[in-house]
Amino acid sequence: MNQATTPKTLTHVVRGDREADKRPLDMALVRRVLGLTRPHRRTRGWLFLMVAIRAIQMPAMGWVMAAAINGPITRGDSAGTLRVAVWFAILAASTAAVFHVRMRLGLELGEAVVYELRSRIFEHLQRMPMRFYNQTKLGRIISRMTSDAEAIRAGVQDVLFVSLVQGGQMLFAAAVMLYYDWVLFLVVLAMAPVLLLISNYFRHRLSQAWRNIQESFSRVTATLAESVTGIRVTQGFVREDVNAEMFHDLVADHAGYNLRADKLVGVFLPLIELNNQLFIAVLLVLGGYKVLVGLPIGGGSAQEQFAAMWVFFFMVPSFFGPLTMIGRMYNMALTAMAGAERVFALLDSEPEQLDDADAVDPPQIRGRVEFNDVGFEYVKDTPVLHGVSFVAEPGQTVALVGHTGSGKSTITSLIAKFYLPTRGRLLIDGTDIRKIRGRGLTRQIGIVLQQNFLFTGSVMDNIRIGHGGATDEDVYAAARKLDCLDLFESLPQGLHTQVGERGGNLSLGQRQLVCFTRAMLADPRILILDEATSSVDTMTEARIQKALAKLLRGRTSFVVAHRLSTVRHADLVLVLDQGQIIERGTHNELLAHGGSYANLYRQFIHASEA
Amino acid sequence: MSEGFKTTVNPATPGDGALRDAGASNARLVLRLFKMGWSYRMPAVGVIGLQFVLLALALSGLGLTGLGIDVIRKGLDPKVADPVFPFGVAPPGHWSAMQTVWVVAGAVLGIAAVRFFLDKTSRVAKAILVLRIIVDLRARVYNKMQRLSFSFFDANASGSIINRVTSDVQAVRMFVDGVLIEVLMLVISLFFFVGYMLSIHVWLTVWCLATTPLLWLLTWRFSRVVRPAYRTNRELFDTAVLRLSENVQGVHVVKGFSRQPEEIEKFRLANSAVRDQKRWIFWRVSTFVPLIGFLPQINLVVLMVYGGNLFMSDPGFRIGSGFFVFAGLLQQFSTQVGSIAVIANSVQQSLTGAQRVFEVLDAPAHVESPPNALPLPRARGEVCLECVTFGYQTGDPAVSGVNIQAKPGQTVAVLGATGAGKSTLLSLIPRFYDPQQGRVLIDGKDVRGYDLDDLRRNIGLVFQESFLFSNTVAANIAFGHPEATREQIERAAHIASAHGFIMELEHGYDTVLGEGGSNLSGGQRQRLAIARAVLLEPAILLLDDPTAAIDPQTEQEILDAMNSAMSGRTTFVVAHRLSTLRRADKVIVLEQGRVVQTGTHDELMDAHGHYRHAANLQTADHESKRLLGIHTDGQGGGA
Repeated sequence: MNQATTPKTLTHVVRGDREADKRPLDMALVRRVLGLTRPHRRTRGWLFLMVAIRAIQMPAMGWVMAAAINGPITRGDSAGTLRVAVWFAILAASTAAVFHVRMRLGLELGEAVVYELRSRIFEHLQRMPMRFYNQTKLGRIISRMTSDAEAIRAGVQDVLFVSLVQGGQMLFAAAVMLYYDWVLFLVVLAMAPVLLLISNYFRHRLSQAWRNIQESFSRVTATLAESVTGIRVTQGFVREDVNAEMFHDLVADHAGYNLRADKLVGVFLPLIELNNQLFIAVLLVLGGYKVLVGLPIGGGSAQEQFAAMWVFFFMVPSFFGPLTMIGRMYNMALTAMAGAERVFALLDSEPEQLDDADAVDPPQIRGRVEFNDVGFEYVKDTPVLHGVSFVAEPGQTVALVGHTGSGKSTITSLIAKFYLPTRGRLLIDGTDIRKIRGRGLTRQIGIVLQQNFLFTGSVMDNIRIGHGGATDEDVYAAARKLDCLDLFESLPQGLHTQVGERGGNLSLGQRQLVCFTRAMLADPRILILDEATSSVDTMTEARIQKALAKLLRGRTSFVVAHRLSTVRHADLVLVLDQGQIIERGTHNELLAHGGSYANLYRQFIHASEA
Repeated sequence: MSEGFKTTVNPATPGDGALRDAGASNARLVLRLFKMGWSYRMPAVGVIGLQFVLLALALSGLGLTGLGIDVIRKGLDPKVADPVFPFGVAPPGHWSAMQTVWVVAGAVLGIAAVRFFLDKTSRVAKAILVLRIIVDLRARVYNKMQRLSFSFFDANASGSIINRVTSDVQAVRMFVDGVLIEVLMLVISLFFFVGYMLSIHVWLTVWCLATTPLLWLLTWRFSRVVRPAYRTNRELFDTAVLRLSENVQGVHVVKGFSRQPEEIEKFRLANSAVRDQKRWIFWRVSTFVPLIGFLPQINLVVLMVYGGNLFMSDPGFRIGSGFFVFAGLLQQFSTQVGSIAVIANSVQQSLTGAQRVFEVLDAPAHVESPPNALPLPRARGEVCLECVTFGYQTGDPAVSGVNIQAKPGQTVAVLGATGAGKSTLLSLIPRFYDPQQGRVLIDGKDVRGYDLDDLRRNIGLVFQESFLFSNTVAANIAFGHPEATREQIERAAHIASAHGFIMELEHGYDTVLGEGGSNLSGGQRQRLAIARAVLLEPAILLLDDPTAAIDPQTEQEILDAMNSAMSGRTTFVVAHRLSTLRRADKVIVLEQGRVVQTGTHDELMDAHGHYRHAANLQTADHESKRLLGIHTDGQGGGA
């Protein structure tokens, strides 16, 4: 009845999440982009030289051709023709040679700049604080290094040099034509704006059409991706026919956008050719008129007029060709500007200083953690922690309990020094965390999170992340200590099994064990387990529980857990609500107290036993 | 440096196909592509016909220009030979040379105008042809893909499947417009060019085209050397991007273990590999391209010397229709020769793409309705597994020798560790896979005998992490039955205790969900999934651990939804929570695909085994219970 309210699409792609693909030219930005080539000054110098030579060479060939026809060929001078031909051959060969150098140097310069940019972006990212990663999508970061860096490459490698070659070529061709016949040249010049207008008009319309194509294509791929990921649902709910029809419509819609662009191109390119033919016709008529009838202006003998016509036939391509090319370069420059602006914005963003200037590398820490009236806000004026104070003595286990969003993970992130408290003090072994160099501190902290991230590589490589210099034997020892060596060895290639992208070849439980072993190998003084066992089923949990107990022994530990079964043995339970500690004590004390923890626990038992 | 106009977006690089049949010979593939192209013969012939006319027009335009030059030259120097008019249509004798020039120039322009219109028409016709093929093929591949069994999706990465519908399809249609049409046009146009040149002067043609084989060889070598190198470079670059994306996704690990120096070093290696290989490529590119551009210049040198001498000695070789036209022909000829390398590439690409597309089209669906399928309008709900064994392509069976019986309305709970085969067991009931041994019976008949769509419509499904589509809430609930009324949708939402939170959403049932339902909490997503499953009032309900990724506070809401959904239906539920397990009529404990324990909760608690061990993890200890004031009766459990 109300069916009309259901959109007839499988997916609903949200628009308006695109970054600008062009930006007006901005001299400061241009200078900065060109500044990227400064370390390659010599290459750049050579390039300018090559560009200057090429600007003359290309029209010169047309000129020599015309000169051959007008000179020795018309005169019937066979030896003279051969001489000019030899010159032409030499010119052509030298043009090819210069082109080789110009092309290679240009490409190398572009690659060098891009290489440099990628390294700088990556190194800069390593210094960016956690805050940055929370606010920035992965896709955005990747496009800084891919499409934006590529746009800059095109900017330094092509735009400047190609425009110079083409512009120089135009000037040279113009000078030659002007020398031979200024009347004819004025006609040529009059046609230039027409060509420019046509190509600008179409380029503008086309870039819009292409944007539509891209958008409709991203709808196609988004739907496809959902169809593949949701295939179980589709087949389970017998939706194949409905989906197929929708997909057909979507593809047809995409094809419609393509057709629109094709139609534009279908007018544009033939129009350019029509313009060329128009010019030929005009040249025939005008040239013919001057040779056969004679014009009152732009004197010279009929013979000279005929020669001028030849020159024009061969020179005009050198004059018109650059017009469209320079238009394209201009567009590339705008794209490069947009890319450069984003890349520089990233490189200029000053990483938040987490360490004070006089911070020192801590010696072996004992693991006393003290929160003193700590407050924190991710976004200004929306605090997620208020006045949190507690002390964890070395070797104690502190459990953090509370609803999603109550601030548990924020507390652990502060201990790991991913962020600095915005209020109050956080002390480790009595020293303010700002005075402890982050790198030295995190080495003594081990973290296992719910989303256990593994890097492409073997199980061994992933465990070794915990301690770079560890030998194979150390890794085995750590696994043995956790009593899970047999589990690793039962993998297809044991500890040398490749984990696949994001650890996809291992099960959740296996991945979690890798993370525990990694933390064990690091042998940290402070251990953070943030929902480390949440995504593991009960049967596997039973096994992990034992490993966990071994891991916790002798370290100051912070355990965030939804399943309250993990919390029972903690030395201190902190119950959080909306960023505040509302209850604290041991498990038994809190149950006896009969407050919120007791309620949570009752709920938990109810869920499992009622 | 120009790239030409790309009319279709083709962003993805072909991934690697997990199923690659090396046996499929190229000849068979080509034959099949021909057959596919044949069904588009009418529009294709139209396009070829148009291009043929265009070619003829372009050549006559060039010829007329040459003629115009000759007429002017004759007017300038009456000693030279008379211009030769096409088809012997000479202008009337009283016309002045200038009048002839006017007419010739007018003809050049007229031909150009006709060319403009035909060119436009031909380009659009070609685009329509190309798009028709793409739409047909994409729809076919997508439709087929949707019906493939899960084994296909298990064996192929999702990126690879997506590429088959996008870029591989592009590659296949390229066989029609980039190979078939192009080859025909190339043959025709080369024939015309050479014919025209030969008609001007035989030996001049031979000498001017002497470098052609070399040009051919060079362009061919170029694509052979440089294309694979670029492919390698893209792979190297993908590695570098993977380093970056892992670095960002694993930023907690990188920072948590202070791995920044190692990460920078890892990235530097990947980045340098890209640059060093690029340098190799640059040398080749910058050698081949100028060389390929140089060869046609040699032709011009030959024309200058040989043609120049011809002009001096042979009055029949005129400056316009001879020399000028020849120069123009040579230029277009070398462009055409260059396109051979492009065509060769298209052949390669379309064959690779075709292989991957045909793999999908040919893949047996594995699971299909039998020829004389039994209809199953409404099942009673009796489910029976008889000695069922099933294994994925590799390795040990995931489920072996399983026997389960469920009477209509009963609840069977399945418990087991990760990888014990719980989800696999459930997938056998709606025939996502067929067992290799044993049978699955519904209402006493083998499921393989039923109509597949009927069978699945009788089964409601909720998965561990329910996949929601980025569409409205209503559309997601009505996913299995798009024609459902709003009343039906709301009733289902009520059963799944989802109505309340849906009404609190900004647009209620018309709220559009983010990708994968990202704007809902896990508990809300699962309740929508339950509503989706009960919309069709299925007799059988399969719940694959819907609370796995949910925190305990929300869990209760889902448990309530599950309970009301289960009532009156035969339910198979994978569960770990005692509350669910206790309610089941039968609990089955799986270990490595085998049933190790069966019974009710109470029976299993009395037996020593895995069940009691796992259950005890979830029960409160006596001390806690005492503190909470819960009455205990000795055994762990019981409230």
